[in-house]
Amino acid sequence: MITIDKKAVSQGQPINVRHFYENVSGRFKIRLLSDESGFDRLIKDQNLHRPGLALAGFVDLFSYARVQIFGNTEMRYLLHLDDEAREAVLHRIFKFDLPCIILTDNNEPVPGMIELANFYHIPVFGSQYSTTKLVYLIGDFLDDQFSVRCSLHGSFVDVYGVGIMFVGKSGIGKSEVALDLVERGHRLVSDDVTILTKKGQGILMGAGTSINKHFLEIRGLGLINVPKMFGVRSIRYQKRLEIIVELEIWDDNSSYDRTGLEGSSVSILDVDIPYVKLPIVPGKNITVISEIISLNYLLKHYGYDAAKDFMARLDRQLKDGQTITRGVTYFEHDFE
Amino acid sequence: MIETTVDIINKAGLHTRPSATIVKLAARHKAEFFISKDGLRINGKSIIGVMTLAAGQGSQLVLEFDGPDEQEMANEILDYFKRGFDEL
Repeated sequence: MITIDKKAVSQGQPINVRHFYENVSGRFKIRLLSDESGFDRLIKDQNLHRPGLALAGFVDLFSYARVQIFGNTEMRYLLHLDDEAREAVLHRIFKFDLPCIILTDNNEPVPGMIELANFYHIPVFGSQYSTTKLVYLIGDFLDDQFSVRCSLHGSFVDVYGVGIMFVGKSGIGKSEVALDLVERGHRLVSDDVTILTKKGQGILMGAGTSINKHFLEIRGLGLINVPKMFGVRSIRYQKRLEIIVELEIWDDNSSYDRTGLEGSSVSILDVDIPYVKLPIVPGKNITVISEIISLNYLLKHYGYDAAKDFMARLDRQLKDGQTITRGVTYFEHDFE
Repeated sequence: MIETTVDIINKAGLHTRPSATIVKLAARHKAEFFISKDGLRINGKSIIGVMTLAAGQGSQLVLEFDGPDEQEMANEILDYFKRGFDEL
């Protein structure tokens, strides 16, 4: 059974506003309204904050370290103040160590806002999206940036749309299985080092690293560039991890699932992933079996479980107490 | 070679779970293992074979063990049958 070493687990690190802007500007149509003088500020929290109460004067519990979202409420409040009061409010807010501010719903900055933001070096962005939508989009981006992740040694392949990770001892043939699967039209996500990132509560997403992306090592040959050799259809950048297959040399003392009813799983970053231990013996085609694992997973996902079906048949037979008969009652002059 | 008969004594009979256990016990040994019932003779190391017997309570099976560790294998498997597959 595989285990994840604590040393392989890490948490996303704080990002600066420049990184944030570069990644969200195109995706979520966010434009820069201030200058870039505050781009080195750090975002350390994945949550967002609407500073309505802070604007109104209550700053005892102000979550200033979060990205600040100014929606219609905040902007309307600022607009209804006279110039002097508004400037005082902005001074009070900008003195906090805010990472950045985003105005939603096409709200224009109130008079004097940008000048003051530049003075305090706080970046201000604008978006055409409503507050609810933007909070959802940016929340997901920050959730991903700050997510728990771990590295796992194995080959990760998309087989019929099911993410299968092959693990096992070094030299047992994980990369060879991956290559064989790619040859049969399946898609490589990563070989050797895979970074798994937890999304939400029950999902692990896997990807290669920026350096090993889509290279394979085959013993005796060396490195192979998969997309160069097999084309763009042979790879994908990310995939949800759905099954872990551990390859091992046949071990007489090891116990293997015979019916498929046992259904074991491994826990990675507190997510349970179905786990299959596959013994390797001469003449066994691991590639074809991997395809079968994937198809069986799909069948189960869509509601058919062969093991349960067979078990139900047996239970029915045991209840009836009839003897087992030939599968065909009569060969009707059909000798083909 | 060892040949012997056993009765199925538990209520549920030789259903899926005990079938899997028998196959796993057998797979740990080198000797060959066959089970016969009503003219059906199956390999005791095959899960589909054992399940195909559909042996209910009260049915009688003939077990054959043949190989270097047949005695040990027979002891283990007969014991499992006599324990009523731990369902008594």
